Amino acid sequence: MEKSSSESTFESTQEFFDLWVKTYQANLGRLVEMPAMGPAREKSEKMMMGFSNFVNLYTAWMESNSDLQIVFKEAMQKVREKTATDMKGDLSPESYKDFYKIWMETYSETFHEFLKSGHFANDLGKFMSRLMEFQKLNREVIEENYLKPMNLPTKTEIDEINKELYSLRKTVKKLTSQVSELSKKK
Amino acid sequence: MNELTLMGDYEKFKRGMEVFLKRPDISVGTTPSEIVYTEDKMKLLHYIPTVEKPHPVPILIVYALVNRHYILDLQPDKSVIKKLLEEGFDVYIIDWGYPSGADRYLTLDDYVNGYIDNAVDKVRERSGLDKITLLGVCQGGTFSVMYAALHPEKVKNLVTLVTPVHFDTDKGLLHIWAKALDVDKIVDYYGIVPGDFLNVGFLLTDPFRTMIDKYVGLFERIECEPGDKECEVRNEETVRNFLRMEKWIFDSPDQAGEAYRQFQKDCYQKNLLIKNKMVIGGKTIHLKNITMPLLNVMAEFDHLVPNDASKPLGDAVSSKEKATLVFPTGHIGIFVGSKSQKEVCPKIAAWLKPKSLLDRAGEKKPVQENASQKGKRRESKPKKRDGKAR
Repeated sequence: MEKSSSESTFESTQEFFDLWVKTYQANLGRLVEMPAMGPAREKSEKMMMGFSNFVNLYTAWMESNSDLQIVFKEAMQKVREKTATDMKGDLSPESYKDFYKIWMETYSETFHEFLKSGHFANDLGKFMSRLMEFQKLNREVIEENYLKPMNLPTKTEIDEINKELYSLRKTVKKLTSQVSELSKKK
Repeated sequence: MNELTLMGDYEKFKRGMEVFLKRPDISVGTTPSEIVYTEDKMKLLHYIPTVEKPHPVPILIVYALVNRHYILDLQPDKSVIKKLLEEGFDVYIIDWGYPSGADRYLTLDDYVNGYIDNAVDKVRERSGLDKITLLGVCQGGTFSVMYAALHPEKVKNLVTLVTPVHFDTDKGLLHIWAKALDVDKIVDYYGIVPGDFLNVGFLLTDPFRTMIDKYVGLFERIECEPGDKECEVRNEETVRNFLRMEKWIFDSPDQAGEAYRQFQKDCYQKNLLIKNKMVIGGKTIHLKNITMPLLNVMAEFDHLVPNDASKPLGDAVSSKEKATLVFPTGHIGIFVGSKSQKEVCPKIAAWLKPKSLLDRAGEKKPVQENASQKGKRRESKPKKRDGKAR
């Protein structure tokens, strides 16, 4: 069967990306994950890790996107078939409501099937994990290279204060409650 | 004919936009209430009774941490709160507020054995009763179930509305997705999990309807009768109610990280609650400790909390008196749909009324004004609340 132009373009993009990732992992990927040396080794190693993290995030995004494109295509195909049968091919502006109804129902149903699949859950889980890793490293790099040298508070330090505050609040509540109990006994 | 339809749709859109341009008032949570207790960001609200002698046993409503409690009082003509007051109940509700960085370490223990317990004590103190009715909604229902199992001596009746307790089901998308998420990575990065992050999840459960069709549907409902003043009033009300709902949907408080972590892992991923293996504050939650009358209310077409997630509660508890009500509506419709006013509230009230009387004369104890000193306490004069103010 001959492929439609959109299908072949999309598959080509995917093939190209897979090839790019393989090449990256075999070359630059190995280079950036190499242990750093010298006085700035800690900082530079972290910064270089950012490359790998970004590639991981981008790969997860491409995989999710690729799966979504397939579902979009499937939904579009179904809409085409339904408009041909239900609307007898009448796609004039006046019949837009019928078209909208078919479009909405078909897309909702098709996507629902995909969204409840384990496939989507895996895509989502992987993408979120990669995103969190990427963001966390980004924050650490910003803290190390910008906030600390400028003597500005970091999120890590604020979290420490918040933890201390939480602990103090709990202690105060406990003690207040005990004082209240004791004063009642008196 | 088709051209006329096209013109009619244009007119509807135009009239709808005219209402938008008037910037209609979309106040929410307008039933008069007073703040009777505060602790950190939590507030306990008491609604001013609308009958001379309310039923003696008060109701404390525990809403979810996700979104805001005023869905139960969204618009004056569709308000669960108002309906309960009209049915003669004395109603309290917990407003969780908006957690910030300082709240990231709050745990489920803090919510259940801390805030809820203190709110229950305050309501007990004010009513002079040992036990009160707990009405939990959605995640607030799950918290109420946990609380009732840990403190059965303080709960006279338990009502759960669209409440998940059995999380290992593939009927709801949230249940499927939650298992695939690395919760630790999310909480470790955010600390306070953004409400918008959760909102994306809710929107994704039906993306085309929640992000496109809903807005198209609004203009479909606009009426176009030239010069008809009543019709204009109806249009304004349609837009107003739509915007109220829109406000509620996107008014999403951030989530205290540690509480979110435990709820996701222990409930959604490990399903510990229904297995009687969930531990809060060092104590295991045994659902068989729930012996008080239980009313479990579900929405048949609930896409967020499927019936499979709620139903098992009935079999998990020891209550001799238990009932289940299922209404042909959705997760939100159960609060704001027309059925809510006509059927849901009256049926809950009918079940609850005979159980909201004093069992015996000796049950009433004197009110102790200084009994609750656990948190910062403040009494204020009754005032009309405007949900717009945060």
